[in-house]
Amino acid sequence: MSRGRAARALLLALGAAALGWDFPAPHSYGRVVLDNFASRAKAPPVAFDHFRHRARYTCRLCHVDVGFAMQAGQTRVSAATNRAGYHCGACHDGARTFAGKPIFAACSEEQPVPQVGACRRCHVEGAKGLAQQYAAFSAELPKRPAGGHVDWEVAEANGRIRPLDAVEGVSIPRPPLKMDKEVALAARSAWMADVLFSHKKHAIWNGCEVCHPALYPAARQGSARATMLQISSGESCGVCHDKVAFPLAECQRCHVKPVQ
Amino acid sequence: MTPRAAALLLGAALLAPAARAPAGPAPSGPAAPLAAFRQEFDAVCARTQDAMTLPDEELRALVARCEALKPLLEKLGESERKVYGRRLQACRDLYQFVLDSRAAAPAPQAAPSGTPAR
Repeated sequence: MSRGRAARALLLALGAAALGWDFPAPHSYGRVVLDNFASRAKAPPVAFDHFRHRARYTCRLCHVDVGFAMQAGQTRVSAATNRAGYHCGACHDGARTFAGKPIFAACSEEQPVPQVGACRRCHVEGAKGLAQQYAAFSAELPKRPAGGHVDWEVAEANGRIRPLDAVEGVSIPRPPLKMDKEVALAARSAWMADVLFSHKKHAIWNGCEVCHPALYPAARQGSARATMLQISSGESCGVCHDKVAFPLAECQRCHVKPVQ
Repeated sequence: MTPRAAALLLGAALLAPAARAPAGPAPSGPAAPLAAFRQEFDAVCARTQDAMTLPDEELRALVARCEALKPLLEKLGESERKVYGRRLQACRDLYQFVLDSRAAAPAPQAAPSGTPAR
């Protein structure tokens, strides 16, 4: 590594540390707690761990075709929608299979959530055993050198994962997306490498509707620039990154364009 | 009995149970409106992957078809309204986004003429 690159890497690490960006524990990274109705029904909330699903399905499938919102509390998923074959129930109906195994039915019980049994697969309290489950799940998957998070991009490129992008009866048959336009976004600091945003990398998992226009409305080219403060507050790229997609502490994965 | 008459009788016998069988319940409740909604929804929202290649007129027509579907949502059950309301809005907004993006893009510069102006 050249002196310049080493100095920049050190500066990035110091900057990231100063802003509080870190590498969260990989097993609980991407955990979403759904509690629109569960607590009111005296049931533990649902703990959804993204890692279990993203190895098998694209983001687009759940967030577009199945209709899960990107904002907390907006989907209004309930036992009734699951039983009607929507939301979790779109796949978790007890009849569909994945890799030859039936996918267990969500909210199949009419009774209150019992302390044991099928309900407890989703309605869980705490994270007991989660670290071990994650370790077993990710044992064969490539990891990032810092933080130990799964490198999903490499995992897919290596054929370790093959996320499905359609579910029969739910997805609309569509032609494959052809979008490989890269967008250069100038960094706000002269010392920082510019961002080279790859539509290809993002669209392959997300389609178009996840980001446009909700996150990125139509704007004149070059005017859509978010600050790192906005991003770390959960806006723009921060809707996914630092929550489910790789953490903001991995500066070099976005700021890739060499400083001129 | 002629072979033709026998064939006709056999055909009638085979068809008769089907003709007598009570018709299945006609789609009612949210099922019938849902089937109609799904057919148009699937047709309209199948173009999101190649929206950026569609001409403006086609995009405007798709936006109009999305708008026309919205009243049909009200006839669906609560779960269907939740799911398809979100999906329809996302699909409509993407088509509109492509139109708006084109409107916001700088107009292409006129090709330089081969003959210098005098």
